[in-house]
Amino acid sequence: MITRRGFLGGALVVSAPLVVPGLAAAAGPAELAPTVFVRLDGRGRITATVPRPDAGQGVRTVVALLVAEELVVDLADVRVEQAPGDTARYGSQVASGSRSARQLTEPMRTAAATARCLLVAAAAARWGVPVEECEARGGSVHHRDRRLPYGALVRDAAALDPASVPVALVPPQRWRLLGKTRAGRVDARDVVTGRARYGIDTRPRGALVAVVLRPPWIGARAGSVDDAAARAVPGVVAVVPLEPDAAGQGGVAVIARSTPEALRGREALRVTWHGGTPAADSRRWLDELEAALPAPAAAPGPVAFEATYRLPLLAHAPMEPMNATAHLTATGLAVWAPVQDPGGLRTELARRTGLAEADVRVETALSGGAFGRRLDTDVVLEAVACSRAAGAPVSVQWTRDDDMRHDSYRPMSVHRLSAVVDGSGLPTWRAHAVATWPLTIAPQIPPEIIKLSGDQFRYTVPGPVDLAVLPAPIRTGFWRSVYAGHFQYAEELFLGALGQRSGVDQVDLRRRLLPPGSRLRRALDAAVERAGATPPGALRGVACHEDFGSVCAVVADRAGGRVRRVVAAVDVGQVLHPSGVRAQVEGGVMDAVSTVFGAQITVRDGRVVQSSFRDYAWLRIDRAPEVDVVLVPSDAPVGGLGELAFPPAAAALAVGSGHELTGMPLGVEIG
Amino acid sequence: MSRYRLHVNGERRVVDVPGDTPLLWALREQLGVLGPKYGCGVGACGACTSLVDGRAARPCVTAVADVAGRQVTTIEGLSADGDHPVQRAWLELDVAQCGYCQPGQIMSTVALLSRDPDPDDAAIDAALRDNVCRCGTYSRIRAAVRRAARLARGER
Repeated sequence: MITRRGFLGGALVVSAPLVVPGLAAAAGPAELAPTVFVRLDGRGRITATVPRPDAGQGVRTVVALLVAEELVVDLADVRVEQAPGDTARYGSQVASGSRSARQLTEPMRTAAATARCLLVAAAAARWGVPVEECEARGGSVHHRDRRLPYGALVRDAAALDPASVPVALVPPQRWRLLGKTRAGRVDARDVVTGRARYGIDTRPRGALVAVVLRPPWIGARAGSVDDAAARAVPGVVAVVPLEPDAAGQGGVAVIARSTPEALRGREALRVTWHGGTPAADSRRWLDELEAALPAPAAAPGPVAFEATYRLPLLAHAPMEPMNATAHLTATGLAVWAPVQDPGGLRTELARRTGLAEADVRVETALSGGAFGRRLDTDVVLEAVACSRAAGAPVSVQWTRDDDMRHDSYRPMSVHRLSAVVDGSGLPTWRAHAVATWPLTIAPQIPPEIIKLSGDQFRYTVPGPVDLAVLPAPIRTGFWRSVYAGHFQYAEELFLGALGQRSGVDQVDLRRRLLPPGSRLRRALDAAVERAGATPPGALRGVACHEDFGSVCAVVADRAGGRVRRVVAAVDVGQVLHPSGVRAQVEGGVMDAVSTVFGAQITVRDGRVVQSSFRDYAWLRIDRAPEVDVVLVPSDAPVGGLGELAFPPAAAALAVGSGHELTGMPLGVEIG
Repeated sequence: MSRYRLHVNGERRVVDVPGDTPLLWALREQLGVLGPKYGCGVGACGACTSLVDGRAARPCVTAVADVAGRQVTTIEGLSADGDHPVQRAWLELDVAQCGYCQPGQIMSTVALLSRDPDPDDAAIDAALRDNVCRCGTYSRIRAAVRRAARLARGER
């Protein structure tokens, strides 16, 4: 996409951007669209196309800011449009791995800067003056005291050969908006007025609603189905068995005119079940993982300290329960759904239905939270199967109970760490043995990749990480921070426990073990400075983490039985949207409070016990700490963010909890 | 199936549903009022919180028959353009992440401020502890409630 770059006149110069064939032609309505991401119409109205879904991480706002910056307009002058699934057109569309902002910054800036430079070139040509004497700002190109609005230049600019115009990005030292704006999210007004439309709000004309009677224990399959009473419920249209794998997690769907009618139909359904693991128990799963821990590595000296940590199942439980709408016809498939990878979903649906990708349309809705759950395509496959059976568009709606009990859960894990220490109590060597499960929704991820999360340990303490991966006895998937939330949480817990045992201050311990001058060391110093002295009577926990080209250090103070204040210092490279950066860190901290102090999924008699926010003990406002986010100035490239804060926040909270460090959650039986 | 006359956001609306149908589904699927969100269906998350005769209620566990003739106010009924003090506070503090729970958080706050114009932390906790936010916007919500209280009193 970018063939040449260098610094010229203080501006980063790129040329030959991705050109959409045909769109630059002067025929037809005036439109300037140097790439698929940015276009201006004949009235100069700017539209930014966001290729990746927004589930609250704020990618739509980041994209709008990037485009507004390079086109030198206000944020409000950029209209944001969500791209449908189409990887050939947009490239990767997955919102995962804290990648969206990192991977979109350059293409978005380049697209908008190209549009600006073409507009300036068109104005310069119109006036017969050198390009260097013209300037784009506020929606117009200016030359001395005259100006031409973008709209008046769009047709001329579109007729130019983009390759003939050097493209200069606005250098970061001249940014007006990026890193500086006090603006909130672009969707904020829609949210507070109730106008924001999520997947659950999508209902094409004539759409029916389906709810699914799901297996009562893990892996159970439907045998005989007595649907006479269900079909007699007013409004019920059809009862459809769903084959596991081909149609999601399996079960029996009741399709009706409305959700309450479908729910009444489901209540009337009588199904016998067989197979599966009706005796499954998550406490036993932890025992099995512990028994499978790799043998202790050979230590270079006497092992002075050893600890074992157990981590539970966790549900994603996004506020918007799983849902998807599909309309399958003989000639094509249309899907409207809150998903994290619309492009990948389209490819999968084409493969599964035998349709050409061109005949599969995936419209991405706003997601009411995702946290990795919407990388799973189960609910979409259910919707396609229901639409096939009903011959109509069908919206599949999961209840909260369905959502909680049929998630792709964060895997359990057991960690055993051991250390050799020196005379001052500092570790000189440590070994980390881990037993966990793979992600069943991503079987392509091998143990070697899982083990990479063990290599993120940044302290100057050598030692091996050994991993055993057992077959998962329940559906598992990506949960915010993925395996870093296991491996690095356990490492920090162990360091914290070691410090407590040796009587070494938590901050001193880390300062002595982090490479001097490292970004993490600077972030730790920034967090400690902001946190100030530990309040009288408070317990303090500290932890650090590096991932996605970003670093985070957390100081957590607990007093009177609850977490009072959490300071998180982050170096996320160039900051794009300050409020959004803080929001993602705040969110990671709240996830940490939730999971360290109570929330877990347990399985008894083959069944997930928790069914709603009544018993999945997620944090409420009354136990939420004050969170102070410090943005450490940085010249590093834009780093990842969404999954950065959870592991260190959880570890800092745990270390400063006063509880015995058993794993997660603390103070209750795990599993 | 029965016919119920509802007052929703100042308008008279009619729905034809069994009387035990949760108000939430009547609003969303019969009347196209989509601001109140489905989050749990059992009154445990607060995403659908709306006002019935000015008090916070959970439409997912409120039967249509029980609100016939009463005033139902959803997030859409607060203001035309988001200029209610609570909405303004939410915008100022950029509270929302995914935003899905926020109509419920806002409506719980409106109900709180209508009976307690200057709530302390304990009152905020009591009023909002049954509104779950899965993105973790709680510290901004707390600040926004305080800000809304000041805006509602006409302070800057």
